[in-house]
Amino acid sequence: MSTEQRIDERGVRIEGETIPSGPSARLGAPAHDSTPSVWRMWCYLVWFSMQQHARARQMVWMARGLLIITVATVAVNTANGRWTMAYRREPRWLAVNVPGPTIAESLHGVRVAEIPPAVLGSTPAAGVHEAIWASAQAALDHSGLVVFSQGIVFSVFLSFLLPIWCLSFATEALGAEREGSSLVWLLTRPIPRPAIYLAKYVALLPWALVQTLGGFALICAVAGWPGALAFRLYWPAVLWGTIAFCALYHLMGACFRRAAIVAICYSFFLETILGNMPGYMKRVSLGFYTRCVMFDAAGQYGVQPEKPSVYLPVDGTTALLVLIGLTVVLLAVGMVVFTRTQYQDVA
Amino acid sequence: MLFEHVSKWYGPVIGVNEVTLELRSGITGLVGANGAGKSTLLRLATGQLRPDLGVVRVRGQHATTAAAKRRVGYCPEVDRFYEDMSGRQFVEAMTRLCGYPRGEARRRTGEVLELVGMAGRAEPRLRGYSKGMRQRIKLAQALVHDPELLVLDEPLSGIDPVGRAEFVALFHELARRGKCLVVSSHELEELEKLTDHVAIMARGRIAAVGTLAQIRELLDDQPLSIRVNSDQPRKLAGDLLRLEDVVGVELGTEDALVVRARNPRRFFRAFTGLVLEEAYDVRHLETLDDSAEAILSYLLGARR
Repeated sequence: MSTEQRIDERGVRIEGETIPSGPSARLGAPAHDSTPSVWRMWCYLVWFSMQQHARARQMVWMARGLLIITVATVAVNTANGRWTMAYRREPRWLAVNVPGPTIAESLHGVRVAEIPPAVLGSTPAAGVHEAIWASAQAALDHSGLVVFSQGIVFSVFLSFLLPIWCLSFATEALGAEREGSSLVWLLTRPIPRPAIYLAKYVALLPWALVQTLGGFALICAVAGWPGALAFRLYWPAVLWGTIAFCALYHLMGACFRRAAIVAICYSFFLETILGNMPGYMKRVSLGFYTRCVMFDAAGQYGVQPEKPSVYLPVDGTTALLVLIGLTVVLLAVGMVVFTRTQYQDVA
Repeated sequence: MLFEHVSKWYGPVIGVNEVTLELRSGITGLVGANGAGKSTLLRLATGQLRPDLGVVRVRGQHATTAAAKRRVGYCPEVDRFYEDMSGRQFVEAMTRLCGYPRGEARRRTGEVLELVGMAGRAEPRLRGYSKGMRQRIKLAQALVHDPELLVLDEPLSGIDPVGRAEFVALFHELARRGKCLVVSSHELEELEKLTDHVAIMARGRIAAVGTLAQIRELLDDQPLSIRVNSDQPRKLAGDLLRLEDVVGVELGTEDALVVRARNPRRFFRAFTGLVLEEAYDVRHLETLDDSAEAILSYLLGARR
């Protein structure tokens, strides 16, 4: 601006010169290197957007409330020693209104009641029996990860908390600007729209990751050893799942005025329904790939889908590549959508 | 700034219809009734909207590009901010979002706040500001990157008379420095104090552009309303209806009548002759719409 025109004494505009003086001219007169830089404005937009996220909104407080409830629930279970299969009933029902024995009761029965004294007295037979019992007991003792994974990680964290936490931040990134009609300030700055979209995404990620990884760490921390092992095995899946979910919900923020509602509907209906469909339908679900990364990481500990032949998991590397690829695609689509959409509700 | 055959639809509703308009340095008033398409035109000018047909250019570049936006300062009508920020923080943030380093942004913010009269009052949070203070902050952020083109949507709305005078002086100063200002308002009276160069919008079209006098001349074929108080209103009404340019006469209360005539200059010549010839006692003569508002009203097709 300052180098492109000046006004002479008669008020005639002259190209290629600098503005000499006056209040407006002062604004254009740099004290030092003050050339506007696109990179600088993008970095500032990231920082500015991160500060906007710091002013926590309703959805974020709800997310934190859910974390507190989950941590409390896990803590109670840990205190009661529930991270074991010993309490599972197998079979679940013996007859109508007659529950089956727990695995612990069955094992106890095997050890005490059901072995004839004549056999028990035989040393080799007793040795085999002891070995079977001890291995069963050892398996039971190490079943904590499976129980914690199935009871908390897959059914509560991955199906519910992770999507909710991601959407709390991701839909707010653009949604709050649209609802507050403050998007006009960004759209009229000399920043390309794809850069605005990307900056908003980059700014929301640290908050979302702190919430998901931090929340997951907290839940695992109160779960004792199964939690510690689960965190060590699953944190990469949580990381990439968060990145992919945030890209999806950020896109929803660009597409819909009430993005949070659309995202909640998507999470609890489409993700849940598609994610539990037999066959290949579930492969359109982000949760499926996140889960597959977890299965791959914890396979050696016996963590696997209930019915692998029905669930048809993909291997961890494939799942990870799909999550990364989907993130890139979702971001690219979001940039196009945000660039092409004319937000008539902002000014 | 150049609008070339620009049209913009909102679904089946047309917001701007085949607008061709070139804006150069100086102040241009954009006036029109609510829904005339002023805000749509301004949002096209600032690159927030893309035209469905035609093209909007700022110094040859499409208005939606970052390069064009760098040349444009926009003061929107919408009264929404990041309410937790102070006025100074907001303007500084907007400056940094133009790509300036912190030190430069602070310097510009300080200067522009002084320019709009907010230097000592920009520290509290925006949510506590009066309408006038918010308008000043909006203007400050529009000016802070020293744009060539200032697009101001109802900038004087909510400003007290003293503030208005300051703003008008500032706009004149900016125009004097070669900046191009587009100021929208639905009150022509307000714009008349600022500029005599106006673009009148009606139903999405630019109905007229030019000085008020030029527009007036263009309107010679449009009916003009004149109130006449006379000792013989009924007889005068009859005589007036025989004049070539009179399109209607309405008898008012007591001695008043309102005559609607085309081609004002020719009508007044004929009217003067009639009064002298018939020796009417004309006690009061007033053109009801010889004002910018009347021009607008005519162009909008409104009945007076």
